[in-house]
Amino acid sequence: MLRWIVWRDLMLAWRRRADMLSTVFFFVIVVSLFPLGIGPETQLLRTIAPGVVWVAALLASMLSLGRLFANDYQDGTLEQLLLTPQPLFLVVLGKTFAHWVVAELPLVLIAPFVGVQFDLSRGTLWILFASLLVGTPVLSLIGSVGAALTLGLRGGGVLISLLVLPLYIPALIFGAGAVEASVMGTSPSSHLSLLGAFAIVALLFSPWATAAALRISLE
Amino acid sequence: MNIYKYASPASFYPLAGKLIPWFAIPAALLFATGLFVGFFIAPTDFQQGDAYRIIFIHVPAAWMGMFLYILMAFYAGIGWAFNARLSSMMASSLAITGAMFTAISLVTGALWGKPTWGTWWVWDARMTSTLILLFLYIGFISLQAAIDDPRRADRAGAILALVGVINVPIIYFSVQWWNTLHQGATIRILQKPTIRGSMLAALLIMLAACWLYSVAVVLIRLRCIILEREQNASRFAEVGV
Amino acid sequence: MNWPDLSMGGYGFYVWGSYLFSLIAIVWEVVSLKQRKKALVKQQQSSKPVPTPVLRGSINETTS
Repeated sequence: MLRWIVWRDLMLAWRRRADMLSTVFFFVIVVSLFPLGIGPETQLLRTIAPGVVWVAALLASMLSLGRLFANDYQDGTLEQLLLTPQPLFLVVLGKTFAHWVVAELPLVLIAPFVGVQFDLSRGTLWILFASLLVGTPVLSLIGSVGAALTLGLRGGGVLISLLVLPLYIPALIFGAGAVEASVMGTSPSSHLSLLGAFAIVALLFSPWATAAALRISLE
Repeated sequence: MNIYKYASPASFYPLAGKLIPWFAIPAALLFATGLFVGFFIAPTDFQQGDAYRIIFIHVPAAWMGMFLYILMAFYAGIGWAFNARLSSMMASSLAITGAMFTAISLVTGALWGKPTWGTWWVWDARMTSTLILLFLYIGFISLQAAIDDPRRADRAGAILALVGVINVPIIYFSVQWWNTLHQGATIRILQKPTIRGSMLAALLIMLAACWLYSVAVVLIRLRCIILEREQNASRFAEVGV
Repeated sequence: MNWPDLSMGGYGFYVWGSYLFSLIAIVWEVVSLKQRKKALVKQQQSSKPVPTPVLRGSINETTS
């Protein structure tokens, strides 16, 4: 069942490739805006890079959250999924994973290239990649709770942002912190391990919260 | 006497009405007393001069912001778990008062920071966590405002509040870590002055005053919410839906 | 008991500013609640001339 859900969502997303690309383009553009707004001085850019890339990833992630359940909600598939004997936890897990592959993984892959704009060293770019690889699942998982709570509501993307951004802050702190540690030459391992811990906890608890929120939004 | 009848909004309404003066009047008295002790009895602080007197409103407001959030999550959770409408209404009522106290704590904190440490805003762990708490309140209030169906709003709010309350320690811990990492020039700021007898007394009296005020105001708002929602319910009942 | 220095040692703006803001916030909360209550009561009295069973014992009467 899990495999089927993931496969189905990936297929559907592939048919709407443009959505996936627009998220990536948004990320790239936002990251590029910061040097334009602040100035090209490399030392400064290296300092702000971790925060800038991470915040851009947060924002891009949030923009894509609306798509997680909205399409299925609109055509009634979501209600059917709720009625299956399969645990809703698994359905949510599958959809969230597919969402991560489609919306976040491209960001993770492209981030090192974007990080080059900030004159980061190769080692730091690897840490950037790693921090986003571990951190973006947290964004998808926590974001899924927000997406489920705001199903079908007006106010859409802004409302999800209000709900979910405060909850993203620990991931932001440790994700950006890991990259910053690398920039400064210290070890990012403690940041990354805490980020990993968040990811595991989010994996265990948020699908359950999302499932409960889906039931509430759909009854 | 069956106490459970008060779980019904319609019967709690008059009880709340009777309770309000019992909280409002002592609240006013305690505010007056607390301010009197704080300004007329507590001595000037050695380090911070008279600027420290802001703590008599800043600290109680910060604590109320936190307590009320936890209380709000508790009532929302109960309302969801036991399908108790009145509990959920209580949570919705608590949200605005809690947000207000959090905002007061932020503004007074900034006004305290400027004379003592030179800047309006400092990203220390406590102030940053308070700011995030305000965001959590705003999220809760916005979510409930965006949902028309009251029961869906109650339950959705419950999930958000519970997720929030679990995250608050995580957020606080993260912010503390972040703050110690970036210590650099910033010193341990907004340190409370060594609390002496009369200062502590004033602080506790003001805290009690804030509690009583909160109960009174939350009950008043709860009555408004009951009127707004039960009015609709009775209309449905008449139609037979 | 000692009379406080009203200028708060030069910090008057900050101290009194804090309390003024808090006072305004509290007054705003109470006043807006009173207005909300009044509007609700007026609306209910105009739309329901006969007290319904649900609302009986709420606005006009107190239960024992």
